[in-house]
Amino acid sequence: MTTVPAIDQDWARAYARQALSDLDAREILASSGAPKCHRLHFLQMAAEKVCKAYLTTSNGHSNVRKTHAYVAKNLPIIARVFYGSNRNQIARWEMSEIRRLAHEIEVLAPACDDDDVRLDNSEYPWQDGSGNVRVPSEFNFPNIDDGSRAIIRLIKLIRTASESYA
Amino acid sequence: MKRSKSETAKSLAKAHFNNEPNLKHVYVLEPLNEDDPRDPIKLLEVVEGTIERGIEPITFPADPARGIEYPVLIVEVSPNEYEAIRKNPGNTRGLHMHGWSMGSELSAN
Repeated sequence: MTTVPAIDQDWARAYARQALSDLDAREILASSGAPKCHRLHFLQMAAEKVCKAYLTTSNGHSNVRKTHAYVAKNLPIIARVFYGSNRNQIARWEMSEIRRLAHEIEVLAPACDDDDVRLDNSEYPWQDGSGNVRVPSEFNFPNIDDGSRAIIRLIKLIRTASESYA
Repeated sequence: MKRSKSETAKSLAKAHFNNEPNLKHVYVLEPLNEDDPRDPIKLLEVVEGTIERGIEPITFPADPARGIEYPVLIVEVSPNEYEAIRKNPGNTRGLHMHGWSMGSELSAN
């Protein structure tokens, strides 16, 4: 039997649905008091997948599926479009904060280390500049306050953007 | 009454300038194909500080609930990338590869 290849639109919807599931998993972890690295890990995965949902139709699934480094550039674009209507505006400082957070979220993926500059990540131990081996579950990720207004807005954006595609 | 693609592009540009402090220029990418509502409005947005990844379009479906009746495609580039596009519009790895060309600049006001 021959398998008919899925079209890019199918992949895009699938990414969006999985992003919603990742966000749901993050909520469960947050409400159960799981370490911050696990909450951030699912946030990073949701952010990556919503970006891939929107990139897939114009770039093709085969071109976007293997890379993790889409969040820093594309999440601010998604924010710009979704907050670009009169009914749903955002302050410019919040947009700057979303851009900063998008970069911080992208480097949570171990493969995205800014050319070995950012070894801190939400999954695997790493060695810091002082020679100490750091454990994600014991690290506080000081660059991301995951209770801040901006990150709550970002999480809401990822959910809205995913729902709109799913 | 449904707005044209051209009118929608102008209002999108204003909104994007309004909420993105690093946005320097917005251009329409031609052809706009007003007669084909499935063909997206294509915008080239020049953003200071963006990551340089070349022409990597991102597409948003039409969203009539938010007043956007057409799909919207955005190509975000840095000022350096924009200069390279402007100086060499026929670059086969650039806009030309997609069959697009630079159209008019849209203002913030």
